[in-house]
Amino acid sequence: MSARDQILGKIEPLEPIKHPGAFQGASEDFDFQASLAVVGARVVTSSELEEIFPGRRRYDKTLDGLSLAEIEVLEIDGEFGVAENGAIWLTEEAMPHRVAPFICQHLVINVKKIVPHMHAAYEELGKVKSGFGLFLAGPSKTADIEQSLVIGAHGARSLTVVIRS
Amino acid sequence: MLSHSEASEKFISDAERTDWHDETLWFVRAKRDKASKVLPEWEAMREHASQIKDHTLANLGEYLQAFEAKAIANGIKVHWAADAAEHNAIVHSIIAAQGSKTIVKSKSMLTEECHLNDYLASKGIDVVDTDLGERIVQFRNEAPSHIVLPAIHLKKEDVGETFHQHLGTPKGNKDPQFLTEAARQHLRGHFLASEVAITGVNFAVAETGEFVVCTNEGNADMGAHLAKVHIACTGIEKIIPKRADLAVFLRLLARSATGQLITTYSSHFHKPREGQEMHIVLLDNGRTRQLADPKYKNSLKCIRCAACFNTCPVYRRSGGHSYHQPVAGPIGSILAPNIDKKANADLPFASTLCGSCSNVCPVKINIHEQLWFWRQDLMEAGLAPAGKTIGMKLMAFTLANPAIYRIGGSLLRRFSALLNTSLNPWYKQREMPEAPKESFQEWYKKR
Amino acid sequence: MRVALFVPCYIDQFYPQVAVASLELLEKLGCEVVVPTEQTCCGQPMANSGFASSTAGCDANFTQNFEGFDYIVGPSGSCVLHLKEHHPSEKIRSSVYEICEFLTDVLKISSLPAKFPHRVGLHQSCHGQRGLRLSSMSERNEKPFSKLEDLLSLVDGIQISKPERADECCGFGGTFCVTEEAVSVKMGQDRIKEHDANAVEYIVGADTSCLMHMEGILRRQGSTVQVKHIVEILNHA
Repeated sequence: MSARDQILGKIEPLEPIKHPGAFQGASEDFDFQASLAVVGARVVTSSELEEIFPGRRRYDKTLDGLSLAEIEVLEIDGEFGVAENGAIWLTEEAMPHRVAPFICQHLVINVKKIVPHMHAAYEELGKVKSGFGLFLAGPSKTADIEQSLVIGAHGARSLTVVIRS
Repeated sequence: MLSHSEASEKFISDAERTDWHDETLWFVRAKRDKASKVLPEWEAMREHASQIKDHTLANLGEYLQAFEAKAIANGIKVHWAADAAEHNAIVHSIIAAQGSKTIVKSKSMLTEECHLNDYLASKGIDVVDTDLGERIVQFRNEAPSHIVLPAIHLKKEDVGETFHQHLGTPKGNKDPQFLTEAARQHLRGHFLASEVAITGVNFAVAETGEFVVCTNEGNADMGAHLAKVHIACTGIEKIIPKRADLAVFLRLLARSATGQLITTYSSHFHKPREGQEMHIVLLDNGRTRQLADPKYKNSLKCIRCAACFNTCPVYRRSGGHSYHQPVAGPIGSILAPNIDKKANADLPFASTLCGSCSNVCPVKINIHEQLWFWRQDLMEAGLAPAGKTIGMKLMAFTLANPAIYRIGGSLLRRFSALLNTSLNPWYKQREMPEAPKESFQEWYKKR
Repeated sequence: MRVALFVPCYIDQFYPQVAVASLELLEKLGCEVVVPTEQTCCGQPMANSGFASSTAGCDANFTQNFEGFDYIVGPSGSCVLHLKEHHPSEKIRSSVYEICEFLTDVLKISSLPAKFPHRVGLHQSCHGQRGLRLSSMSERNEKPFSKLEDLLSLVDGIQISKPERADECCGFGGTFCVTEEAVSVKMGQDRIKEHDANAVEYIVGADTSCLMHMEGILRRQGSTVQVKHIVEILNHA
């Protein structure tokens, strides 16, 4: 017997328990910018961005063929931000390569839309449209040595967010 | 192998380090408290998450098949493994087909459970753990001592010395920033060179066939997106029904684990990227046995946040290695006996049953009650330490017979000074209670 | 009101003053207190050690002594929790009360003729706190409450302080205190350190077992800090 049949054969259905449905009663009063600060991202205006990263590479769907080695500072478009935790939803369509937002040294994300919390975020996402997507909240970090927070473990060393309304 | 109590005694003998370990993890617990208490809906979310897990476990077979069908349709290759040996053989066969000799792996407690690294090493394949904490303990030939903070038993001096030996960092440099940078440079090379990446799985969604991996470092993504082959290893209990269910779990997971609002990266792997092979291995390894036992079924709800570790006053003062299992702490103490009763008979007793674990648990696992059930099952299985069974039976007999109890009590009081001996573990660091002349009942009779 | 006083075995033998205070306090508050004289133990020491299968004799003896009462009151959160969770008789399970919850929830007392002009540190015993819900717990996002503090606030002259980690376990844990001696003692020492930081004269709690453990450590340290069961204070004139 295959492992599959063996495993499924061992699982007896238990007393049915209903799925609780969508979560109700989530707080709404979250501040996206405050959350970004908590997760270690900075928020700048588009003109400030020009000053900080004049030589950055911008990626949008019309471009392709950026080689990974070129990506020191990468600017991409996020689909929306989540106010409760500063996370930004990104899909692979907005990246030159899935690894791009991780392997670049510094990441810039444009955000146009903000939802209050994760429940609203998944509502916003609806059906799966991408082969790969992620919530990204701040720069890469670790506290694996004595719980000392270090920014820039493996992924981007900084995250800069431009909120374009 | 040392029992939990023996290993703890050794751990505690370094009082300074024990205090540091305790305080550091208590600080993580405090951050968790802060993150949870700003959300008025926290307790409702715990209940909600618990109900989703209950519902899923009640229909696990269906959801596993639904996940499988969707994942296959997405182009993911789905494998099933009944036990650790099968799991390891599957992973090896995928790697062998690729002809790769070096592999990167992000944190996966499941591969620790299966001792995958040792197995692959025996086949000549070198696995590089890429989570910083895991890389540190891998260099030191140790096991992780905590499922979220694998190197929490080490001080920066230890890490500095380890990196000096293995990465050639300057001797004596113990700056976390510097050491992390050294690891970043060292591991970048491995990320770029590896053809196969292994990751764990935090959640697998039946509705969509996608799986979600959460990290703060970005190491899972660095590995998975650069490799030609991505192998994701998961226990069958990681299934959740719907994509929207992720909302409550992602809200709970990082807040419970470290007090963060969310992990830095919550990656949703839905389809392999063009030209990539993506595999998922679904492992049983005793989980169906647990599912079938109403007493222990709830342990499968665990989302591996380690809040129960950080809150546990015993864990904080005994260290993860004292649990001699890949998953330590309170949750480990109810998972391990399911895999091997005899080897883990000490673990359910490594607790005061204070109940803190059950109350921090984001999915409301009744951990301390399960510890109590395991105690019963282990003793019934004849796994009591020498002398315990007879001692307990004698005590039960005495306490069931008031006349014998009265005689026993009065003898105990009269000769209690005899217990002031090194043979009495109580007396080692504590005075015995002073024995009164009269028991309460003796006093009451004269009243 | 007719009340059966449940005196846990180790209190009967080693801490009779706790049982005396319980008896006097309940009488002071107008209860008719009966002390079943053939009582022994709730069975918890065996059950928590994995020998619940050996407690039948103990359980039967408890039933025999207490089944005729609608209110069984004991000065030990841990023993009471064990009875509520594991005693085979539904009548027993639903009739047994920890003494603090009995005073606040059943007698609903709002004043006490008690005086204790001392600085006391409150120890939250886990089984009373998390098991019987005698007070809110730091793990949960819930409104703070404390039956113990409500009662102590009725005592004249008392100054109550709480350790920094207000509800961390002291490490007694039944047979844990000897089978895991090193961790148990370390946990107790750490609790005491936090009480010491508050310069308390007494550590007070609703479980004598925790107090016995901390007392053992205090005395070994040569400390002048004493332990007291909460009823000894509530009964202190």
